[in-house]
Amino acid sequence: MPVRPITWPLVVVLIFLLVVTLFPIFWIAMTAIKPPTDWNAVPAVWIPAEPTLINFRTLFDPDAIRDYGVGGVSESATAAVIGSIIASVSATLLSVMIGLLAAIGLSRYSASGRFTPLLILSGRMFPPAAIAVPFVIIFSAVGLIDTYLGLIAIYVAITLPFSTWMLKSFVDEIPREVEEAAMVDGKSRFMAHVTVTLPLIRGGLFATTLFIFILNWSEFLFALVLSYTNIETIPVRLAKYVTATAGTLYGVQAALAFLAMSPLVIAGFLIQKHLARGMTFGAVKR
Amino acid sequence: MNRDRKKIDTACGDFDAGGLSRRTFLNRLAALGVSAGVANFVALSPLGARKAYAAIGGPEERAWALAQEMAAKAEKKTLTLLIPTGSIGNMTPYVDKWKNELGIDLEFIEEPDEVVHTKGMQEAVARTGRYDVMMPTAMSYPDWIDSGVIYDLTDWVETYNPELFNEEYGVVFPASHHAQLYNGRVAGLLNDGDQITLLCRSDHLTDPDKMKAFADAHGYPLDVPKTWTEYHDLAKFMHDPDNNFFGSLEYRSRYYVKWMFMQRLMSKGRLYFDGDMNPTFNSDEGLAALEDMLAINPYLHPDAFSFTWSSNYNAFGRGAGFMNIVWPSGFKYSKAPSTGPATTGKIAATVMPSDTLSDGSQLYAGLFCWGYGYAVSRYSANPELAYAYAQWMTSPTVSSDAIPYLGGYSDPYRVNHMKAPTQRLVDTYSPEYLDTLYNNIVNTVPDFCLPGGFEYQDALDKEVHACMTGEKAPKEALDDAARACDRITRRIGKEKVKESWLSLARNLAEPIKRASGADQWV
Repeated sequence: MPVRPITWPLVVVLIFLLVVTLFPIFWIAMTAIKPPTDWNAVPAVWIPAEPTLINFRTLFDPDAIRDYGVGGVSESATAAVIGSIIASVSATLLSVMIGLLAAIGLSRYSASGRFTPLLILSGRMFPPAAIAVPFVIIFSAVGLIDTYLGLIAIYVAITLPFSTWMLKSFVDEIPREVEEAAMVDGKSRFMAHVTVTLPLIRGGLFATTLFIFILNWSEFLFALVLSYTNIETIPVRLAKYVTATAGTLYGVQAALAFLAMSPLVIAGFLIQKHLARGMTFGAVKR
Repeated sequence: MNRDRKKIDTACGDFDAGGLSRRTFLNRLAALGVSAGVANFVALSPLGARKAYAAIGGPEERAWALAQEMAAKAEKKTLTLLIPTGSIGNMTPYVDKWKNELGIDLEFIEEPDEVVHTKGMQEAVARTGRYDVMMPTAMSYPDWIDSGVIYDLTDWVETYNPELFNEEYGVVFPASHHAQLYNGRVAGLLNDGDQITLLCRSDHLTDPDKMKAFADAHGYPLDVPKTWTEYHDLAKFMHDPDNNFFGSLEYRSRYYVKWMFMQRLMSKGRLYFDGDMNPTFNSDEGLAALEDMLAINPYLHPDAFSFTWSSNYNAFGRGAGFMNIVWPSGFKYSKAPSTGPATTGKIAATVMPSDTLSDGSQLYAGLFCWGYGYAVSRYSANPELAYAYAQWMTSPTVSSDAIPYLGGYSDPYRVNHMKAPTQRLVDTYSPEYLDTLYNNIVNTVPDFCLPGGFEYQDALDKEVHACMTGEKAPKEALDDAARACDRITRRIGKEKVKESWLSLARNLAEPIKRASGADQWV
């Protein structure tokens, strides 16, 4: 296939799109290092003349921002960061693990019937707001409300259909004959999946894991309604940076948002070679 | 505040007996931690000093006695409060006292303010018992009472008497009724006088060049606006976008814009419904209110369509406009040098402007919108202790002490906060603004404090916003709002909402009742 030359108009369009895409990240990064006097300045301060880490410090030392005459932050974000890590990592691992087993089952063992994949996906057809309150009642009754176990369970429940469908599309791409060849060589059926199928869908597995992690990491509604004081996550804490004396603490919110997006960006870079293919959700078939 | 009752009683007794001069008496009470304004109220009272303090301190003392009794009985030694984020500053100064003297830990669960109502409704079905005291706005009470998640406080109020309706230090009428009662029963105790008033930049009002130019152009002197017509004239006159200075900063953003409409509607003598629960938004007055808003749009701050309360306060405090329609917290915000660098010492405040009625008279009407209060969870393990907390915190003395603390939403709501303020209240708000608050609050109309109140508000908000953005013509927007409200009424049950509406309307200020015809409703 001939290489298409890059023309100047295309370069301009690409640069424009890049700027538009990166602008929110730039703005969050800049706001995170602005002192309170610059958060809402008119005209807007694009790059702070006196950058500061006070917003980041305030996340873990609520009194730090008082140096600027801003009070009212009452809690550290440490619990929220830890809570997000515990809930998101655990739920992602569980979701991908169960999703992988389900995907192999659906792809390789047709006993489940034609409608099972659709049935699994139907769990995503209800808007979260519609099922939030019933879950609150159920979780209250069984003592799972305001617990990590409860939050992880609901995260797994809402992301499992995605992980199952994504991974199923990757497993479908692998010819059954490859596994059969492994079994002819003496592998058990299970070991054939582990030693042959799994390495072949590695890219998809990374992409699915990252996608599910992003869903869990940014989930707000369930974390809000299922929590009181024992558990908290970053999205819920972000909504709480409002004080009576200074209004919305944009700088502190930006600092937490910047921290929150960092693991996603780092993970994305680390597995980027798998992502391009993985994120197509197996749309390009052989 | 030190509440060593014996020492205070001794000082009051000495003063009554003529053993202390007024100055020495005030100094003694100040030394005891009784703020100067409360001491002043006591000294000026027609009652004897001891009697006066006993009266004003009565609700606090009764609440404390109840708290002591209930704390001693309580197996669970924690009182958990559901509060909106940003409000904790008014409550934290008392945590140690409750711990040290009662052995009760105060635990605060902060939630974003727009979530507090939902959390309450959630508790109605989940019944976790996680909360003891809940701090909603007045609009939550009907739905919360009907869903059974909070106590009807009437019996406790009758027993322990928080003096809600006392003429000298009770909650100011009509907020005393609108923001605490549901169908005549006490649902919560108000802790936040959320009314809106109008702020102007006094430095521009006293600028000689502007004074002359304005008087020449309009034929009346430059001053704070008394009518909505003057408000329009001033916004237009002061509007100077080339210098990033705008006529007014009122809201056009979703969620806030309904209040700008509701305020104008009631200035024209119209309420939200008639006596039979038919919406009255799409009346001539409603249309005129929307037309007024559209006419002022060219002189608003360009961020008016995206303002939240905090970005609005921030813009005003940085000198971005001449007028602003704000809650009392907005005045505090603009007065403090740290948050109002351009407005400190440069604010003139006034009651909401009047409008001319069909008979030619002027109607002054204000809007009491939002207004936090304390409710007691029906699933609390210690409900009477929770009630005692609510009464103690909102008592005339403790509330005078609590309101000036920074980092909370609580604003003046009792008569003594405005008419006999402590020195800290004066320092926080200024005597002139406390007067303005009193003069405005006595004519306020409440939010939709009805069953389904949040739904009514949202339906109206959506349509007013659509009109402001040009998406809908005024008549179409108001007709759609009226239809949406009719649907909500039918779904909830007309008789139920009507009973609540008539109960609200019975407690309006007389001029508003007369202008709206509510005085004729059964």
